[in-house]
Order: sequence, then C-alpha cells, then structure tokens
Amino acid sequence: MKGRKLLLALRITGLSIYLFVAVFPLFWIVMTSLKPVSEVYTFPIRYLPSRITFDAYKYLFSFARFHVYFRNSFVVATVSALFSTFFSLMSGYVLARFDFRLRHFLLLTLFFVQMLPTYLLMIPQFTMFSRLKLTNTLLSIVVVYTGFGVAFGTIMSRAFFKSLPKEIEEAAWIDGCTRFGALVRVIVPVFLPNIGAIFSFCFVNSWNEVFTAVLFLHSDSKMTVPVALYSFVSKAGIQWNVMAAGIVIALLPTVLIFAIAQKYIVEGLTQGALKG
Amino acid sequence: MLLPTFVLVLFINLYPLVRGGVISFQRLTAFNLNRPRFVGLDNYRSVLGDPSFWTLLFNTVIWIAFSVFFQLLFGFILALLLTKPFKGRGLYMGLVFYPWALSGFAIGLLWSWILNGQFGILNDILMRLHLIGKPISFLSDPKFAMFSVIAINVWYGIPFFAIMLLAALQSIPKELYEAAQIDGAGMWSKLIRITIPYVKPTIFSTVLLRIIWVMNFPDIIYGTTRGGPAGATNILSVQMINIVYYQNNFGKASALGMIITSILLVFSIVYLTITEKGVFEL
Repeated sequence: MKGRKLLLALRITGLSIYLFVAVFPLFWIVMTSLKPVSEVYTFPIRYLPSRITFDAYKYLFSFARFHVYFRNSFVVATVSALFSTFFSLMSGYVLARFDFRLRHFLLLTLFFVQMLPTYLLMIPQFTMFSRLKLTNTLLSIVVVYTGFGVAFGTIMSRAFFKSLPKEIEEAAWIDGCTRFGALVRVIVPVFLPNIGAIFSFCFVNSWNEVFTAVLFLHSDSKMTVPVALYSFVSKAGIQWNVMAAGIVIALLPTVLIFAIAQKYIVEGLTQGALKG
Repeated sequence: MLLPTFVLVLFINLYPLVRGGVISFQRLTAFNLNRPRFVGLDNYRSVLGDPSFWTLLFNTVIWIAFSVFFQLLFGFILALLLTKPFKGRGLYMGLVFYPWALSGFAIGLLWSWILNGQFGILNDILMRLHLIGKPISFLSDPKFAMFSVIAINVWYGIPFFAIMLLAALQSIPKELYEAAQIDGAGMWSKLIRITIPYVKPTIFSTVLLRIIWVMNFPDIIYGTTRGGPAGATNILSVQMINIVYYQNNFGKASALGMIITSILLVFSIVYLTITEKGVFEL
C-alpha cells in the first residue's frame, strides 16, 4: 500500500513537471509579445509586464504588413489542404477496397516518398516552376504543398477506410445506392471526424513549411508568415516584443486546430503510421 | 480515383528526385538556371572533399542519436504516466501534446529568446536559484550550442513518441497484467516482461520514423543558430540549405541532398532487415 502511494506521488510530480515544461515556453512568448518594449530588455527579468500593451501586434499588422502574410499563409494552407484531403480520400478508398496488381507498388511509393527530404526536392521544383514562369506565385507553393499532403493523406485515409467494416457500405448497395452514392451518403458522414483529421494534418504541415517558401517567394506581397519571420531574423532593429508577436501569430492557428481536432489527428496518426 | 494523387506524387516528389539526381552532376546556380552544364562528379568531389564534411556527418549523428534517444525515453515515461485514466486526462493531453503541431522554425525562434545569453529567462531562473554565477550563452557558445538545440528538439519531439506509445500501451490486454499479478510479479518485472515486449514493435517503427524525420529536420537549428557558432551545430541538412540560400549553388546542394537521401535509404533498409520486417505491414 505504501508503494502504491509513493507511486501516485511520483506520477503526480512527473505529470506536473512536464506540464510546466510543455506550457511555459508558449506562455513566455505570449508574455513577451504583450510587454512594453522598455520592459523586454531588462535583467534580472520582469516576469509580468507593468501594463499589457498590444503595440507589438499593432506594429506587426501595420508597418510589418502581417495582414498580407497571414492572408497568404491562410489561403495557401487552406487551398492545399482542401485538395490534398479530397484527393487522398479518393485514392485511400481505392487502395483500401480494391485489390489490383499495382496496389502494393503504389503503397510502397507513398511510404518511400515520406523519406525524401523536402529541401532536396525544392531545387528541381524551383527549376520546374521557373521554366513555367510560376515561381514567386502562391499557386506554385499550393501545388507543391498539395503534392506533399496527398502522400501522407492517402496513407491516413486508407487506414481509416480499412478500419470501417465493408458491411456498412454493402448494406447501402442493397438499399439501391450506387457505389459512389454509398460513398457520399454513408461513408462520408461516418468519416467526418477523420476527414477533419486529414485536413488538419495537411493544413498544419503547409502552414509550418518554411524552406520551399523562402526559396520560391521573394516579393513582399507573396510572402507567407514563416517567410516573413525568416526575413525578420536577418533584419536589424526588430525588437523582441515584435518578434514574439510574430511567433505567436505563426503558432496560433495550429494551436487552435490542434485543440479542436486533437483526438482525431492522434487517432489518424497512430493508425496511419502503425497499421500502414 | 487514383489519378490526381499519383500524378501529384509523380510531379512533386518522384520526378524532382530524379531531376535532383541529374542536377547533382551539373553546374547549376541561380544565375544559369536555364543553361546548366554537365560537370561529372565535380559536385560530389567538392562536397566529400571538404574536410568539414566529416564534422557535419559526426554532428548529424550526434544530433539524431541524442534527440531520438531522449525523445523516446521521456515520451515513454510520459505515456506510462498517462496510461491509467484519471480525471482531466483529456485536457492534460491537449495541453502537453500541442508542440507536435507547431512550426519547428518558429519553435527555434521562440527558444532562442528563452535561451538568450543576455535577456533569456532560463539564465534568469538559474541565477536566481544560484545554480550559475553568470549568464550562459546557450546558443552562441560552441560548448553549449549543440546541447541546447538537441534539448529544444527533445522538447519538441516528446509528444509524438508519447502519442504513439500511449496508443500501443492502451492496446495491451489487461488480462496479461492480471495473470502476472496472480503470479506475484512486481512493478518492474511487469514492465520488463509484459509492457516493453508488447510495445517493442511500436518502439522500433516509431524510432525509424523519427530518425528519418529528425535527419530531415533542419527547422529548429535554422530558427536558432543556422549551424553556428563556428559550425558547432551544423548538420548535413542545414549545410545543404545554407548552400542553396547563401551560395545559390544548386548543383552542389543537390549532390549533398542525394548523399543524405542515400544514407537514409541504406539506413532504413538495414534497420528494417535487423528489426522485424513485420513492423510495417502493407
């Protein structure tokens, strides 16, 4: 009994320490972004600001034109995630339900593609798109992100489809649904959370991508949030409260998405990666 | 139905890989994009002949080995602590797993503020606790830099391991533990005889996924040190991006990229041969 109590105490301590370690960095960057600039550079540090100010955010969205970068990022991530999700559902369904000669090969290809470093692929992609005169466009980056998204999205959606009993679908056929009708009317509603998970996963990856975007997008009106942050680093005279606000803007959407879709993303991730 | 996906995979992933292979034998820079010149093995010679290549390789191995080991260790402990349900577990998981979804680059920037040598809060805390006498330049002192970026990467990667291992832990049949209980097995022997063997396939597959991923993950280092100070945190992937961004030498960068890809490919095949192949059943 004594051992059990000790174990419980250890468990609570461990969980508390990790909670602090996990949450504190985010708390601290939000804090820094809300401080007046005079209180950012003090040592020993002032933990709580004397007053909360949104100056850093005002600067970000007026002088630093973050409204443009945010909109670009949002458009790119949303559009590429929509296409990735739609295409992965189609291909995942076929790969889960039909047996054909190339199936094994196609699946292997999808896994193989996961291994390729995106920063190697970005050079040939850059030469391809520059031949088409499409570099420095949001379209080029949407196409690239969709290409990355569909590969893992298909792995995820195939795992979902495999976990769904065929009988549900077959019952719909008997009731007079066509195969496609059954897909839309029966499977899609059941799969809504899973579709959300694939979408979130693709959105998060596109939102966070930095290296291809830095190579592709150089004019100010085309930059995404990570590209803007990247250019911040080399710009002299950016104060850390503004930098912190930029980081918060870069992190916020994915934190929100994770908060909403966490359960399903986790499910999809473990199923997709483990059951192949 | 398969067409859109595989056309995209072909043009965005596979064809660029082949093109990358071709470019690695060419002299191609940002300034002669449309007029590449074939130069044979020059790019490979220039990458492998550079004496710093072996330092890069060594740094990469250190970066991967320590990052993945501690991610696994802490991720496993966290998963064990979370296996038994308790009130508020869902909320707790939501609060601690979030780093997984964040931009690695932004996380690098965030931590470079926390670890700042002049105004960083970590130095502040350590000094208030009288653990150190004067601030440490965690990221600009070559002695600490690699250690610091690995620590950030561990922080970032714990959730992924915890998520994967938690799923595996929860699939262990309770009867196994009950039977062991009857046989009088203690905590440790349960952990070693039941838990670890049961989650071993998950550990093997997750470790491989992570090794590939961490090798291809220059984001955190790019957000903090960009390979500095004096190359202390320079790893292969970071070096490759530096060659693209600062030297605009696409040919040389592609040669390095092909070397990285080959290392990964060979490593994965060896890894899958040594561990059970059944880890990834198709």
